[in-house]
Amino acid sequence: MDVELIEIRDYLAEHPPFDQLPDDLVAELPRQITVRYLRRGAEFPPVGEEQAVWLLRTGAVEFRDGDGELMERLSEGEHHASPCSGGPTLPGQQGKVIEDSLFYVLSCSAFEALREQSPAFSNHFEKNLRARLQHAITQLQQHRGSSSNLMHVEAGSLIKRVPITISADKSIRQAADLMSRERASSLLVVEGEQLIGILTDRDLRQRCIAAGVDVARPLSEIMTANPQTLDSHAPAFEALIQMTRLHIHHMPIVDQKNQLKGIITASDILHQHNLNTVSLASTIRHCQGLDCLVEASQQLPELQAQLISNGMNAQQLTRALSAVTDGITQRLLELAEETLGPPPVPYAWMVAGSQARREQTTVSDQDNALLLSDDAQPEHDKYFAELARFVSDGLAACGFVYCPGDVMATNPTWRQPRRVWRKYFDKWINSPEPMALMHSCIFFDMRPLYGDLELFKGMQQETLAQCKDNTIFLSHMAANALQYRPPLGFFRQLVLIHDGEHDDSLDIKHRGVIPVVDLARVYALSGGIAAINTHDRLKAAEELGVLSHDGAQDLQHALAFIATLRARHQAQQHMDGMAMDNYLRPDKLTRPERAQLKDAFSIINTLQQAMAARYQTGRMR
Amino acid sequence: MLGTWPLNLKRKRELARLGDNPLREYYQRPFPSSRSDSRALEFVALDLETTGLDPQQDVILSIGFVNVLGMQIDLASAQHHLLCPNREIPEQSAVIHCITDDQAAGGKRIEDVLPQLLQQLAGRVMIAHFATVELTFLDRACRQLYGAGFSIPVVDTQRIAKRSLERQGQVIRGSDLRLAECRRRHGLPHYRMHNALSDALACGELFLVQQAQFDCRKAVALKHFL
Repeated sequence: MDVELIEIRDYLAEHPPFDQLPDDLVAELPRQITVRYLRRGAEFPPVGEEQAVWLLRTGAVEFRDGDGELMERLSEGEHHASPCSGGPTLPGQQGKVIEDSLFYVLSCSAFEALREQSPAFSNHFEKNLRARLQHAITQLQQHRGSSSNLMHVEAGSLIKRVPITISADKSIRQAADLMSRERASSLLVVEGEQLIGILTDRDLRQRCIAAGVDVARPLSEIMTANPQTLDSHAPAFEALIQMTRLHIHHMPIVDQKNQLKGIITASDILHQHNLNTVSLASTIRHCQGLDCLVEASQQLPELQAQLISNGMNAQQLTRALSAVTDGITQRLLELAEETLGPPPVPYAWMVAGSQARREQTTVSDQDNALLLSDDAQPEHDKYFAELARFVSDGLAACGFVYCPGDVMATNPTWRQPRRVWRKYFDKWINSPEPMALMHSCIFFDMRPLYGDLELFKGMQQETLAQCKDNTIFLSHMAANALQYRPPLGFFRQLVLIHDGEHDDSLDIKHRGVIPVVDLARVYALSGGIAAINTHDRLKAAEELGVLSHDGAQDLQHALAFIATLRARHQAQQHMDGMAMDNYLRPDKLTRPERAQLKDAFSIINTLQQAMAARYQTGRMR
Repeated sequence: MLGTWPLNLKRKRELARLGDNPLREYYQRPFPSSRSDSRALEFVALDLETTGLDPQQDVILSIGFVNVLGMQIDLASAQHHLLCPNREIPEQSAVIHCITDDQAAGGKRIEDVLPQLLQQLAGRVMIAHFATVELTFLDRACRQLYGAGFSIPVVDTQRIAKRSLERQGQVIRGSDLRLAECRRRHGLPHYRMHNALSDALACGELFLVQQAQFDCRKAVALKHFL
């Protein structure tokens, strides 16, 4: 026999997982297949028959759980392999043919033989969803081409040598000697293991020689004390933005335990990168007015599209976009202070929501608040109201629409001294009503961006300590975290939203991203974890044992995949000259992508169920 | 609806007068009873590509067949044979079947293929779309090679389709009964290829659909399809 079953061979060769098979195996495959036809209403797979892999050629099949809830839908070109692969079958789960269907059926023994012969094919049936998803993420990125741009590179990886440290009691001359000997342009000043300052060439010039300071004096007199540091896992891009903002050229890098890893310089970074992505941050730094900021922010969609097409993943991308938004916000605050004069009492400008989590996309609204020193008096509010108005209007002009829920510093409720904020948190934690839960979701994802950052520090620890063991509050947060469910029966038009404008599309933000963000928040609160970035929260939760290793890894991969699909969708919209949104069209996805998205959804579903069981959220609804 | 008993009578008659040849072997296996449950029966979906419709003048170009076991098609049993005709292929039919003289020249002789086909058909029911072509050409070939005619219980998917349309009170045009059109009505996939095996398979799939139109909880006697 030569080409006679070519139709069937070609069909198999186009559909996963058979598309993973080498040509010679696909060519032999049709002979191992039986063709079956089941009418609408038939049980699937038919009872009392040998177990097999069923590839749906035409028609449709549904699986429902014991309660009749739709679990999964098979559409044309998709297969049902769990009887052979030992995949998950829920108790009571029942399949039914809902349209007359033609199947290509492969026996389990033939299936096993294929798995043995082709690792790529076998990988598809990896019981471990995570391994599959990881593979998918890599493919998604490879697909987009790779690049050595700054978002791919972690700041820590740019460290060229072991840190050159010196203790604070050494003299300026000794420091200069060490720098010459080591050919270093900076030294890290330590006390024991602790980083307490940094000394650079510039300090020697400006603070010593030009100022006429005796070189026998201790170097601590001319060093910069308590320098800004950066986590070694932060993207190099962020280091550059921070350095431009602070007008510094050296950035000490620490690990997550705050241990000193080394130092990177602006030129280390500039060597590494392609300038387009960073010039925007620098433009923003030097903007003298709103027009300039508006113009700079208009480049954000283009930046997003560019970074995605350079192969950046979603986490890196949202970090970059959040950093740019941070830059715009900071610049607006500086301009506001220039206009309004210095603040009457210390304050911290707080960002909340996705910007705070560093998970922003171009399509984001502004969530912000003002945390004032407890010294603030009623008459000071005029200043802060104007400051808030200036920044909020500026952000709106830059394309960050006003928060629909009015969670902005322009709202007097969210422009309060520290003690009032403490009361807010007390109230939310102790009487978790629906509104309180909504506010908790927003304000537990909050970080100080500008002003007196210390104001927030103690407060976060206090509130975290408060909710850590408050099971009632945590249970409510858990129930709240389960309100957005991933669409398991995503395929065909069943669960797509129908609101006219977004017909046949999937709200990937609410059905994919938010469920993970919400889960991670509950883990963080139950473990007293200060991190607010979702990936960081999941990592920390794993380390603390709040979340299993598998759960943490699975969720991170699911989120990475979903968010990358979303970012790519938005980039495509931008390239097509459309406004960016969160409505993904399933028909724009490739078959493997749909299969992987299904995996990601089922991971989220599993962890949501685990959370529901743990907090008995069923009782609350 | 005569059932298969007249066929079995004829079979025994031929058996008595035939010498030792593949057709005799074929006739040794009784035809299934028309009362048997079709879902427990074995069928062979068969398609012949020929140079025309007249068995006296035209010849078989290729033969494709595949077994249907009750409600499933077993692709492992699929066979496809190109035959070498002893004369030129008329241009018209080459266009339909995309078989050129060169291809056919690499083919086999009918006397080498027919024994395999008869072996597979023995004791089974033949499925074909407009089975007259298959029946008349095989009959002619058997007479020439083995000195007796060919008979077999036949399920003609075209006739079943016609009956079903008639029952629905539809006006039937000739094109409604074409294999591709019958498949399309039932939502079966469109096959681009047009060769004897893919047509045999296409016909076999159509039969699965036609069989499924009956209540699947009850046995359906073969006679409903004859």
